[in-house]
Amino acid sequence: MAEERKWGMVVDIDRCTGCQACVIACQTENNILMSSEDIVQQKRAMVWIRIERYWEGEYPNIKARFIPVLCQHCENAPCEPVCPVYATYHNNEGLNVQVYNRCVGTRYCANNCPYHARVFNYWERHTAAPHMQVYPADARAAEPMNEYLNPDVTVRTKGLMEKCTFCLQRIRRVSRQATVEGRAIADGEVQPACVQSCPTGALVFGDLRDARSQVSKLAGDQRAYHLLEDLGTRPAVTYLKKVDPNARATSPSH
Amino acid sequence: MELTRRDFLKISGSSAAGAVLFAGCTPPEHEWKLESPVLLPEDTLTSFENWYASVCRQCEAGCGIITRVVEGRAKKIEGNPLHPLNRGKLCARGEAGLQALYHPDRLRTPLRRTGPRGMGQYQIISWDEALNELVSRLKDQQAQGSAGAVALVTGPLRGLEAHLVTRFARAYGATSLAYAPLEETALQAALKQLFGQDTYPVFDIARANYILSFGANFLEPWISQVHYNRAYGEFRQGQRTQRGYLVQVEPRLSTTAANADEWVPVTPGTEGVLALSIAYVLIDRRLASPTVAQAMTGGAGVQGLGAFRPEEASRITGVPAERIEAIAKALAERRPALVLGGLGPAGHTNGLFNLTAIYALNFLLESVGRPGGVLLNPAPPTPELAARAPASPFLEWQRFAERLRTKQPRPVNILMVHDANPLYGLPPAVQFGEGLKNVPVIISFSSFMDETTAMADLILPDSTYLESWGESIPDPGPGFQAVGFQQPVVKPYFSTRSFTDVLLTVAGELGGQAKEELPWNTYKDALRETAQRLFRLNRGSIRKPDFESFWNTLLQEGGWRDEQATAPRVDLRLPVLARQSQPPQFSGTDKDYPFYLHVFASAGLSDGRGAHLPWLQMTPDPTTTIMWQSWVEMNPRTAAALGLRENDVVVVESPQGRLETMLYLYPAIPPGVVAMPTGQGHTYLGRYAEKRGANPLSILAPMATAEGGALAWGATRVRISKTGRQYPLPKLEGSVPAVQPEDYTIIPVTDLRTR
Ligand code: SF4
Ligand code: SF4
Ligand code: SF4
Repeated sequence: MAEERKWGMVVDIDRCTGCQACVIACQTENNILMSSEDIVQQKRAMVWIRIERYWEGEYPNIKARFIPVLCQHCENAPCEPVCPVYATYHNNEGLNVQVYNRCVGTRYCANNCPYHARVFNYWERHTAAPHMQVYPADARAAEPMNEYLNPDVTVRTKGLMEKCTFCLQRIRRVSRQATVEGRAIADGEVQPACVQSCPTGALVFGDLRDARSQVSKLAGDQRAYHLLEDLGTRPAVTYLKKVDPNARATSPSH
Repeated sequence: MELTRRDFLKISGSSAAGAVLFAGCTPPEHEWKLESPVLLPEDTLTSFENWYASVCRQCEAGCGIITRVVEGRAKKIEGNPLHPLNRGKLCARGEAGLQALYHPDRLRTPLRRTGPRGMGQYQIISWDEALNELVSRLKDQQAQGSAGAVALVTGPLRGLEAHLVTRFARAYGATSLAYAPLEETALQAALKQLFGQDTYPVFDIARANYILSFGANFLEPWISQVHYNRAYGEFRQGQRTQRGYLVQVEPRLSTTAANADEWVPVTPGTEGVLALSIAYVLIDRRLASPTVAQAMTGGAGVQGLGAFRPEEASRITGVPAERIEAIAKALAERRPALVLGGLGPAGHTNGLFNLTAIYALNFLLESVGRPGGVLLNPAPPTPELAARAPASPFLEWQRFAERLRTKQPRPVNILMVHDANPLYGLPPAVQFGEGLKNVPVIISFSSFMDETTAMADLILPDSTYLESWGESIPDPGPGFQAVGFQQPVVKPYFSTRSFTDVLLTVAGELGGQAKEELPWNTYKDALRETAQRLFRLNRGSIRKPDFESFWNTLLQEGGWRDEQATAPRVDLRLPVLARQSQPPQFSGTDKDYPFYLHVFASAGLSDGRGAHLPWLQMTPDPTTTIMWQSWVEMNPRTAAALGLRENDVVVVESPQGRLETMLYLYPAIPPGVVAMPTGQGHTYLGRYAEKRGANPLSILAPMATAEGGALAWGATRVRISKTGRQYPLPKLEGSVPAVQPEDYTIIPVTDLRTR
């Protein structure tokens, strides 16, 4: 099959305000287990996209920086070769996909992902009901909250690894529609939930193989870089640097 | 050749080896690849979806939404691309609206109290019974000539809903009040004074070159988070010739300040002085137009502002004189410049002084009426849409609480509450709870068992916004006339009725003047009448030959707008700058209470109304990454001097009360200030909110702005002491790299359920 498309994302740090709209949009779209307080305290929060915050400098010349981090859909993904059962693979549209019904929960992939993009289901979903009265370890089980579950997305159970899918179900829906209508997918037609919600326009999604797509153009911007570029993972997510007019020019090294 | 596993699989998929694996069948070509021997669940789309346009009611701005509905259930909320306020975008609170709809702790039927008040003993009753009781009680009061002893409390209302509620209160003779914990009354008063409008003007962030913001947390829950975030994106990277520059002045580095190019820490309550000092420099260095400067100083010129010379102002505000000069110069050079003021400067006893001084700078910079500055909004297209019932200022609430308590000048016999929770938000010092004890009948129309509803004798639960009709003039308006229409996207999930429908039913039963004033049977009828008026205007985004097709398109598109209908050009009178500063008053001396308490709106829960939704509870605070809890922020050096560590449970004590919460070491707060988010500390409001964290409003002094009587939430000083206990703050920070955190060497996976 011809590799027609390569999906990719651009994250403009100069636009992102850390508002968390993308985080909640991803939760609502993807039936992600809601992390109760104790889950967060254990540092096992289930999030597919998170806003990392970095402090820079010291009071009073201090700054906070926000970086949204999601699965980078690495072309050379360290998470893929370590899986003994091929539960994670690269599909022909450039997505790093997790096949839930193959996953046996070794968690090798999570250990090998340098971006900490993967989260593991430590919790049983169906036995959560009594617990639910106090803590929403998984409010998906708290009737009637299950009514809003997205029917296009599997609900994962204990023992499974999961992570950002680039909202595969949305890609599928648009491509199916395009096929039915006998046309190509237009640029910007596929919008993952996070991209759709992001009010500042910090997130842009599209086909990197189409040179005219907005995402391709932005990925070629002079501010572009990749997270942990040195590792050679070749991510499909490109970041655009924050512009800081007050940054003291770092003196040349000699 | 280097062979990655993927390459290997690709090769094997089309080689003989692969054929052996799948011998006996001839799968289609794509099945030869490892990706599809088992089809991904995500590859099979099972649903047939419909999208319905409506309006978000999670905050007061009124963004347009579209809701994905599959088999009669709402599945996803997104922004409506056609709505001019949010143009397809949404915030976390808007996204989380689904959880309000399908919340396990929603009030599902009308209820009548059976046990003692506040004990939660209720009996399920039918709607007929509930309505009969409500109507007969109201009729009784009328018959006794004490209709004035009925009070109707709502949230801040606009448009048709405000129109109906005020008409009802007037026709019946009831007192009506509106409640919002972080009321914007001081801001609205300042804007009215300067720009002559009751509604918010357009702050044209997208086209500004320089923004000077005094505690206007416009990237957080403030007025319209989505609209301003959207504009901010353009401000930074969407303008062709410039990248906007943002300076944020406030005591604590907020999320907005974190995004600013400069953060200027300022002594709380002195923002107005700083603004006037900037005005001084602008005028003194001839950076402002001399005629404007002359008019704004009442002819006195810069001498009139002598009290605000940067050297003087620097002592008061704590901002170095050179910095004041630099900001003034940058403001003058980088036009169009926009100056904003928000919750910080508003929440002091001198709130109105601060805000008028701040917003007046826009006139001095000639930014009013200019793109990239402050633009005016036109009046709504029809008179009933222009109706408003804004939040009543704190002082009015204090008087009302006193009336309840003392029954003077007259008692309140029936208190009806809709979409307001004063028992949670009002500082306990005003003794609202005490007052409630004197009210014989409390009737609530809430969808949830909040603190005030828990005191109710009769509950007629409201439907959520996703199940009811409505409309909303976006506020802030987009600069032209626009109306959002709200339709039920799903049928009521429980046995609930929307408050407006109940109000109309009651008016009909009461008959007489109430019926005359509110002749409609349902809210939808009233709404259609408004739509008729819009239809007859025959302008704007929808033009149709007949009303039914107009109405259908209106609902399909989620509203109506007319981009030509902008505000008429008015020449606003130039405000005269104050000559004297008004120092803020504080409760508590700096000796006994060494810290200013800076209260800010929580990113997820805002003023507390989102606390029942688990998605909002788990929305990380952007700068601390804390979820599910409240905390108090302190400068790490101050904490070290006091022997306090992160996660210490500390007592925060004001002259009015005390609370306990966890300490978070916040590197971006001055040593003399501590900060706390609003939103937690509920005793009711469902399983996700109850008994979680602390509410800073509960220790505030009952202090109000000198003019207008708004709550001065920044006017309370506190002291901090140890309890000796620790509690690990639930936060995202430190999760990466994912090593085992020291405090959690053993993770009790199965024990989780017994917590
Ligand atoms: S929604 Fe956009 S602006 Fe907000 S945190 Fe996410 S990426 Fe940043
Ligand atoms: S970011 Fe991590 S999980 Fe995603 S493809 Fe790369 S290595 Fe795999
Ligand atoms: S692309 Fe989809 S799955 Fe990935 S972070 Fe965004 S919303 Fe979540």
